[in-house]
Amino acid sequence: MSISTPRRLALKGALACALASAVSFPAFAEDAVLRVSAIPDEAPTELQRKFAPLGKYLEAQTGIKVVFTPVSDYAAVVESLASKKIDLAWLGGFTFIQAKIRTNGTAIPIVQREEDARFTSRFITADASIKALSDLKGKTFAFGAPSSTSGSLMPRFFLLQAGLNPEKDFKNVAFSGAHDATVAFVAAGKADAGVLNASVWDKLVEQKKVDPDKVRVFATTPPYFDYNWTVRGDLDPVLIRKLTDAFLKLDPANPEHKEILALQRAAKFIPTKKENYDGIEKAAHAAGLLK
Amino acid sequence: MNPADRDPAARRRLFGFLAALAILWPLFRMAEVKPGALFDAANLKVIGHFLGAFLPPETGAEFLAYLARATLETLAIASAGMALAGLLAVPLAYLASAAGREKPALNPLTRSLLTVLRGIPELVWALLFVRVFGLGPAAGVLALGLTYGGMLAKVYAEILESADAAPARALRLNGASRPLAILYGLLPQVAKELVSYTVYRWECAIRASVVMGFVGAGGLGQLMDQAMKMLNGGEAASILLTFMLLVFAADGLSGWLRRALDRPPAKRASPFGWRSLGLLVALPGVVLASFYFLGIGFGELFSLEAARSIGEFVAGFLSPDLSAEWLGKVAKGSLETLAISLVGTLFAAIGGLLLALPPWRAPFSFLLNSLRSVPELVWATITALAVGLGPFAGALALALHTTGVLGRLYAEALANVPAAPGRALRLCGVPGSLAFLYGTLPGAAPQLIAYTLYRWEMNIRMAAILGFVGAGGLGQLLYFELSLFHHAQASTVIVAMLLLSIAVDQASAWLRQRMR
Repeated sequence: MSISTPRRLALKGALACALASAVSFPAFAEDAVLRVSAIPDEAPTELQRKFAPLGKYLEAQTGIKVVFTPVSDYAAVVESLASKKIDLAWLGGFTFIQAKIRTNGTAIPIVQREEDARFTSRFITADASIKALSDLKGKTFAFGAPSSTSGSLMPRFFLLQAGLNPEKDFKNVAFSGAHDATVAFVAAGKADAGVLNASVWDKLVEQKKVDPDKVRVFATTPPYFDYNWTVRGDLDPVLIRKLTDAFLKLDPANPEHKEILALQRAAKFIPTKKENYDGIEKAAHAAGLLK
Repeated sequence: MNPADRDPAARRRLFGFLAALAILWPLFRMAEVKPGALFDAANLKVIGHFLGAFLPPETGAEFLAYLARATLETLAIASAGMALAGLLAVPLAYLASAAGREKPALNPLTRSLLTVLRGIPELVWALLFVRVFGLGPAAGVLALGLTYGGMLAKVYAEILESADAAPARALRLNGASRPLAILYGLLPQVAKELVSYTVYRWECAIRASVVMGFVGAGGLGQLMDQAMKMLNGGEAASILLTFMLLVFAADGLSGWLRRALDRPPAKRASPFGWRSLGLLVALPGVVLASFYFLGIGFGELFSLEAARSIGEFVAGFLSPDLSAEWLGKVAKGSLETLAISLVGTLFAAIGGLLLALPPWRAPFSFLLNSLRSVPELVWATITALAVGLGPFAGALALALHTTGVLGRLYAEALANVPAAPGRALRLCGVPGSLAFLYGTLPGAAPQLIAYTLYRWEMNIRMAAILGFVGAGGLGQLLYFELSLFHHAQASTVIVAMLLLSIAVDQASAWLRQRMR
């Protein structure tokens, strides 16, 4: 049997195309771009909206193009920072510890919000019979993402201190994935109670996205260190300096800066250091989230 | 009763029934089957609220722009993934297949590689690759490429083996090499079947690439995940509609392609018509466009950096946590997963049979197609609202999707059964229902059972990942441990998933053999 010439030609053509497609895509060029991402503790569309003016400001201050990539997975941000796919990331206290471990201690936290030095989580419910943490026994409970500091680690730590083991004492444990999703879970009755970051809760109440008569706060955690902006350790020190200064220069008296700060829900930014998060690391070991 | 009238198989059937009950009962308990939860007032209110918000679907310009982009991304992930799968499958099938060999020496190394590729669900691969390649659709493409590569290779190998071996043997005996013997002795016989199966798999890849978005690999799934988490009914409705349209369109296109293949070449003026030419231009075009659209450089995927991070990642998985405490937890998750898959498949078999029976097909086929086109993970987010989080939600989600699949297959099988026995019974005055039970059903039963068991094999893989949305089982353990970079623990869970799917494959093969 023989293959007719046109068919043979066509086969060769297809093969050539396939080969060409396999080699013709160049890897991304390393332009002067600052690649930024954030842990998706809120809906990605919300994160993009919040970041837009800050991105423009950082671009103007550093003279480098800023690109924001939204992600839907906490661990992906940590991994991207460790594999140098992003340069600057908005991390939670616990994700910073994970990043520190995965980069062999080279990741550098540069600034945090004034509020982050005394951060809290709020326990919420729509169930009239839940009045204290001890009433949670036998209920379904929603955390945020497993690696969230204020939506998972610290609440778990304080629950354990109060003698409640989520896996044993709750009927079911759900991970909503984000703080605003936790509120949606509780408001809809998908979970009997949940826990989220105080700052997002206050924002949702201000924006009237939650009805405080229906969903109410029944407990608040003691304060702890949370969020920061972290850069990868081998970024140009001059650029790190510029970025740090840019954040610290944000002044609530300046109307343009005020808008940026309001979107970040920050009174102002303050310098931070690795040691601030040692407490989080200890809590993570105690709660069994770090081995 | 007169001994002659007694069913001679009664004792054996009774024993089989009791044995099945004894095995199934604890599993029902484990899956926390509580039909009452479906009618619980609080749950009804929650789901009613959510479904009520489906109308009107979200049509804001900003959202529609997101939706259009996500739809293109989903199509591109499916096409690029299939291209990768094809590249992987052809050499693997050649190595694994006994076709064109002197002795049927099966290649154990390639065969076990194929088992691993197929045994780990694509979603788990995606979850791993999201960690390695970070943001975006590259993870989805690779995950699809690997699982579908494994699946295609296995089926290609089997199709080649099922062809008449005589022409290839004749060629080999005359001195032709194995590749040439396969190319000229076997391929012409099975080309149609190979292409038809590949097209069918592309259709499945579209469904799979939607699901992949749930772990952050882009596309419609990612949008769906957000909408479902935020319980945004309007957005969920728009995404679901888009998705169903996409699945129906892919279904239609693949049906048209397969019908086109069915036409005997003699009826065509030239063996190389406009269709083949169009396809030859379109296929590489689509693949090229997909990679371009997704912005994946192959160089990036195969770079030293990527190899290093994969290596690091794999190394973290090489020492699974085998402590008694963790093994106990994984064993419990495995049993729960098994229970979800069994209960889900059982419900689906009953529901599918009921929906396959009515003679007036149109509304029922539409219902079955709709059930089928919504992926299990999406059903799970809805059933979790209806009955609360937990394994029962997972079993229900599996049941809903599988009912759609099985109902359609059952209806086809029942339509193909010879009509004579049933008609003979009816003519003797037997009521219609009994005539069906004793005349029609026995003819179709072996096929119905085979379909159900095949589906169970697929459902065990699905049940393993339903936990990602809070439906219990191994999935939730895996999601949690991977989020925390506990690779040793995650590794144990993945091994358990693999063992579970192999065990179910074996059990199902054994059952099929016994029931023949």
